[in-house]
Amino acid sequence: MTRTVNILDLGARCLGEKALELVRELKRSQDGNLPPYNEDGIRQVVEEMRALFEQNQLEVRATTDGERGLLSGIQLRHACLERNQRCLLAYVHHRMTRIRDYRWQTGSVLPPSFRLSLCEQEIQWFTHYNRSLATYMRSIAPTGLDLTQHLQPPKSLLVEVRCLEDYGEFEMEDGTVVLLHKNTQHYLPRSQCEPLIRQGVLEHIH
Amino acid sequence: MVCEMAESAREREGDESGGSDEYEYVTLTSAEVLEKLEEAWQNERFAPELLEHKTEVVDCVLEQIKEMEENLSHVGRGDFVAGIHRLELDRVQYVLRSYLRTRLEKIERHVLHVLEQEADGSSSSRLSPEELVFAKEYADNMEAHLQSLVLQHMPSNLQKLDHSKAVSRPNMDSYVFVRAVERTEQVNVDPHSADNVGY
Amino acid sequence: MEPAEVEFLAEKEQITIVPNFSENKLYLISGEFGPFNPSMQTRVPLWLAINLRQRQKCHIVPPDWLNVDYLTEKKSEEAAESFFTAMPSPNYMEVSSLVLNNAAEDVPKADEVRTLVKDIWDLRQAKLKKGVDQMISQQETFAKLDNLTLMEMNCIRPFLTAALDHLHLLHNHATSYTSSQAD
Repeated sequence: MTRTVNILDLGARCLGEKALELVRELKRSQDGNLPPYNEDGIRQVVEEMRALFEQNQLEVRATTDGERGLLSGIQLRHACLERNQRCLLAYVHHRMTRIRDYRWQTGSVLPPSFRLSLCEQEIQWFTHYNRSLATYMRSIAPTGLDLTQHLQPPKSLLVEVRCLEDYGEFEMEDGTVVLLHKNTQHYLPRSQCEPLIRQGVLEHIH
Repeated sequence: MVCEMAESAREREGDESGGSDEYEYVTLTSAEVLEKLEEAWQNERFAPELLEHKTEVVDCVLEQIKEMEENLSHVGRGDFVAGIHRLELDRVQYVLRSYLRTRLEKIERHVLHVLEQEADGSSSSRLSPEELVFAKEYADNMEAHLQSLVLQHMPSNLQKLDHSKAVSRPNMDSYVFVRAVERTEQVNVDPHSADNVGY
Repeated sequence: MEPAEVEFLAEKEQITIVPNFSENKLYLISGEFGPFNPSMQTRVPLWLAINLRQRQKCHIVPPDWLNVDYLTEKKSEEAAESFFTAMPSPNYMEVSSLVLNNAAEDVPKADEVRTLVKDIWDLRQAKLKKGVDQMISQQETFAKLDNLTLMEMNCIRPFLTAALDHLHLLHNHATSYTSSQAD
């Protein structure tokens, strides 16, 4: 015999509150790190849904047997069920897009710190996505085209520097050789002279 | 450098109102091809929905990049002129990759809608063959994911996704900036046309 | 579009330089430029001009509108009109920033020029905000934005399109609600 599940068994909490909490948790973390997969929260929502569904099944049966006044309760529970489903899907889907973004911003390898926040299925999703993306990038050009490079428009960031000591020859990334004599001034790509500035060989002008 | 491209008469005359879709080969200079890529890139950046893929333009540009890189490989790295060519190459690489990236983002964001559109043979295909493969894999991956984490735990009547309600679609009523290319006597201002109105 | 992308597009605009080196014609993908001879003016795209200037391989000749006289008059014109006046370049903001930041010595009275450009930009921004307010408060479906540059459009674009989209959504919901009430 089926047990009548009393909605009050779920506690005095509002229906759908837990599901909303899940969504809120993600919204709060938008600018920060992805929170760990809330397996517990999901389980609670699923349980609430099961209880609602069972109650509805009972009441639908009762209604067809002739009992009256149950329809609004059934509709309310159904609305709650749909809403919960929507929240769960939104939660999982949104996390999925965050994990996808991670691939583009960071790379194809999941560092342990990030991995810890993901559940097993999410790690699997990432693996499949990675593979799919790699296949695509390989297929669009004879030698492949890494779309995760050249993310920003190129800017020639040259800085004006003065040489503080006789350093000698300095070879740049593009092969040109610059003679760094004391008191000479140069325009060099910022990224390449930062180390020399840090070492005190070069000094940034203004 | 030149490039051969198939172009419909429609495209060349800028007349999108229909008519025959005859294609003929036209020869474009490298500068013209680059212009086309930049145009495609800008359009794709600003449109809310996925536009038709400009495979031929992409292929031409890839050819040019390849040719340029080959020429540069014979030249010493410190060469002044080579440096300038490299600067330009960086710019072309950026536009090309941004164009393809933007398309991937749109495909992912509205994957079920995009695949629906492709399956409906009434309009011409917007995806390149490679994008189609990617889109299908993305959709499968996503659906399996939602299935395993959510749907299979749902009560029996909520285990399937209702596509008509659940599919994310581009906002076609989204407002866009439009520039009138020609003078027209009168533009019928409908909430969904004309300057700075719905798409 | 990000501002960096708008600037990227603006860098295609051509500008005059005076090289201090000699070089044959350059056959770039985007076109032919040069030949380059010391003290002989030639036109190149802005991105190249800036790079050469940074490496002190040339001087930049400011565009004929980037000077105190022209800009002072432009500013008065802009202040007097309620619509946007036509700008000498669709990328006036990016061109002036790049030239002033990298070749200030090539621009006479650079500080004054900089201030004038900013003043003009501010005047136009104010008009834009006023126009946007009006568009939203009066729920107009379209706005004429002649002479607005891409950079200016770009600043307002995310806000404007989001706000208008919302309005549109609300409008649609309202009309479908009232029509269902009528049933």
